[in-house]
Amino acid sequence: MNLASLLSKERINLELKPGKKEEIIKDLVYSIKKGSDAELIVSTLLKREELGSTGIGKSIAIPHCRSLAVEKLEISVGRTTKPINFNAIDKKPVSLIFLIIAPPQDPGNQYLITLGKIVQIAKEMTKKNLIQKPQTPEEFITLINKIEKDIGKRK
Amino acid sequence: MSDVIEMHLKLLFDLDTLLADLEEPVYKKIGFKIGDTERMALLGRRSDLLKKLPREIAEVYEMLKKRYQQAIAPVENGFCFGCFQQLPTQLLTRSKEVTTCPNCGRILYWREK
Repeated sequence: MNLASLLSKERINLELKPGKKEEIIKDLVYSIKKGSDAELIVSTLLKREELGSTGIGKSIAIPHCRSLAVEKLEISVGRTTKPINFNAIDKKPVSLIFLIIAPPQDPGNQYLITLGKIVQIAKEMTKKNLIQKPQTPEEFITLINKIEKDIGKRK
Repeated sequence: MSDVIEMHLKLLFDLDTLLADLEEPVYKKIGFKIGDTERMALLGRRSDLLKKLPREIAEVYEMLKKRYQQAIAPVENGFCFGCFQQLPTQLLTRSKEVTTCPNCGRILYWREK
């Protein structure tokens, strides 16, 4: 399964209002779930952040967790209009956030495979200075698709 | 079961899943390495959460976790999604009491629609 097929334009916000890390996580979760399910996911994501920031460096963060609140792998993406503090490992602000939530058990461990893929794609976006390039969610999905194919060709 | 107990049980379950993922070699290979101090702190949070549950429910949860790993299971279309057995009709209505599957014993919850 390719990453682009897991993305939907409704869950890509390229004009995310800057805010605290918790607010950004909440915003992205609420594009996937509402109510007590959303609260459960936010709580688990924040507990994961307590273990160490998922800000992997070079402007990118990938908050992630498994939760009973979802039945399939769900992804939302946000690009903040101004970089935000995410306590990233390189101590630099973050502007692109991929948020991943997976059910507790998923066939073929799609969660960890997808997580690994996103890390790889995100690093490629940074390397090629592509984070700010897409102007619409459709362009963002097309770009992810292209990067994913390019990585696939190199293997 | 009450909303508060259900929320605590779900949180506990998500926390256990998180702790299990930290041990996955694939997870470490991706680059997410977690220190022992942070892991211990998370275990402390787990212990706090367990204390918030009524003792008998906490004990059932721990026993089921040892037996199945997944101690709680959703009800879907009249089935326990832990053991995939059909549930008796009287258990299909959401109750304020903690409901367990008569076949596998897992604590049942209803998904939000």
